[in-house]
Amino acid sequence: MDDEIQPFADGRPAAPPYPAEAREAARDRLLAEAAGRRRTRFRFGSGSGRPGGRFGVPRLGWQAAGAFGVTVAVVGGVVLALPSRPAPVAVPGAIATASPQATAADSVAVAPPVDGAELHPRAGQFLLVESETMYTAETMGKTERARYLYRTKRQIWQAADGNAGGLLRIEGLPPKQIPGWPLPQEAQQWESGEWHEISGHCPGQSDDFRTDYVHLSTLPADEAGMREHLYTGSPTKNPADDAAFTAVGDLVRENYLPRAQRQALFEAAKTIPGVEVAERVKDSAGREGIALGRNERGTLTQLIFDPETYMFLGERGTVVDAKAAEAPAGTVLALTAQLKVSVVDELPKVSGAGKDGSCDMRQQEPTPPPDSPDQNGDGALPTPTPTRTRTPQSTDGDTGRPTAPPPRPEPLTNGDAGVTTWAVPSD
Amino acid sequence: MVSAQALLDGSTLDDSTVIARSLEQPELFAVVFDRHADEMFRYAARRLGAEPAEDVVAEVFLVAFRHRGRYDRTRPDARPWLYGITTNVASQHRRAERRRIDVMARIGADRPGSFDDRSVERVTAQQLQPRLARALSTLSSRERDLLLLVAWTDLSYEDVAEALRIPTGTVRSRLHRVRVKLRRTLGAIDPFTLETQHG
Repeated sequence: MDDEIQPFADGRPAAPPYPAEAREAARDRLLAEAAGRRRTRFRFGSGSGRPGGRFGVPRLGWQAAGAFGVTVAVVGGVVLALPSRPAPVAVPGAIATASPQATAADSVAVAPPVDGAELHPRAGQFLLVESETMYTAETMGKTERARYLYRTKRQIWQAADGNAGGLLRIEGLPPKQIPGWPLPQEAQQWESGEWHEISGHCPGQSDDFRTDYVHLSTLPADEAGMREHLYTGSPTKNPADDAAFTAVGDLVRENYLPRAQRQALFEAAKTIPGVEVAERVKDSAGREGIALGRNERGTLTQLIFDPETYMFLGERGTVVDAKAAEAPAGTVLALTAQLKVSVVDELPKVSGAGKDGSCDMRQQEPTPPPDSPDQNGDGALPTPTPTRTRTPQSTDGDTGRPTAPPPRPEPLTNGDAGVTTWAVPSD
Repeated sequence: MVSAQALLDGSTLDDSTVIARSLEQPELFAVVFDRHADEMFRYAARRLGAEPAEDVVAEVFLVAFRHRGRYDRTRPDARPWLYGITTNVASQHRRAERRRIDVMARIGADRPGSFDDRSVERVTAQQLQPRLARALSTLSSRERDLLLLVAWTDLSYEDVAEALRIPTGTVRSRLHRVRVKLRRTLGAIDPFTLETQHG
């Protein structure tokens, strides 16, 4: 940079210090937003769009066969959901566990695996869940905020035991407009496909993060137990009922649970305050199911299940409060279908898949906070505390305060210390 | 849920990793704030003054948080992204910026060469030299966004391109146009001004 621009660099005004109160207030606002939007929010409300790895904003998709007339074939103990079309079970590179000459066991268009046709993936195998999704995207244009509905096809391979990493394939579909919101330019750039690696269960990480089949199989198989499970995972600042309902969606979305857990989950979800049951609600593939819905910030969020098998079919988000949802009442802001779930032996061979660094963070040695050499405040990262917060084993008697390294509920706001400690309390 | 410190245990984690993790653990986004809020504040304050900058920074991180799902995970450093958002949010304060620039430009014009050194320092410490302010006022807001990212931050042209979401080639060509404009204004003023010239 020389010439005409150099004087501007040299003459750069001095910056006033960032007032501590303002900084703290800004940080608090951010954390309040973070707490309020835990998970659900980035599915329905805000941004998302380009899901990276398993964190892809909307983790949608799901399971279920059916959409296009899927049949379930049982071979050698392994059940594969097979599309009625001549399409292969898995994408090229993946090897189906069994030959497709299996016995067709089911063809209920609505219901994926039915009784007797459950999937029984073994350790080392992968569950492939295919889905189509539509969620709200929010973008910042040059000056204006834009919102639209972005749509994708997703295929996610997860190791049945969670030990190995998996893959996520996302393909764009043409976007849709939200009434009153013009489609932004970037919405037109939907034609792309991406591969993302997804990490398996990270060593040392709490089981709470696991969504693999083996782990899900260990969840309570009765309503009361499942209900407790839904509530014990509640994050700090969210109302417990909101969090419990969110947990339901997180458990079924792009995962496969054994039938007992599916049913328990369905029954437990029905008991969450605010949940409304609706019959004959359609997913994006047109399949009807029974929906458990809840009003989330002006949008009725419905999780749709097959009434016979309790398989998750998809979800639907419909505006009920135009003001809160910033769209006319009745507008559908989310619509998905989990089209098929199958078991495969191998991951497809792909190159250039995006990395998932989730486990890297955990494997790194804890680094002491650097002495922030400047005002950038690079430092002050939390020290590692592998606290499993869901079930506080060691608590300090009546205070309920964990005795071990002191993660506290409020941590969200101790900005002045520059230390970020978030513990999620148990109750 | 796992506590954040169990998830984030070192400052060696790059922004991209933190942001990716914040999709599941939203509170982790505070780390991004802790790392970059001061820098964004400084940039916003230089452009708009301290008070508007406070609002801008608060807004920037909310916007960033809401859009974290779109963060390009191949970018380990979130600053270009944040500068881009800061630029966008600051653009909502264009009128304030314009006023500020005008004021800074007038200070020199009103009292050409007649102020004592101390007042010069006081005036200029947190302000742009009048002649530069005048030159700045001849640029379009888009050109100003570009020039100030290049001049006032340590972003590379590639980073600036990313921040403004334009191709690097466009950064260069626009910058060329900016130079031509500045040469005209600065060049014309220079010989006749008594203002001190830095650099």
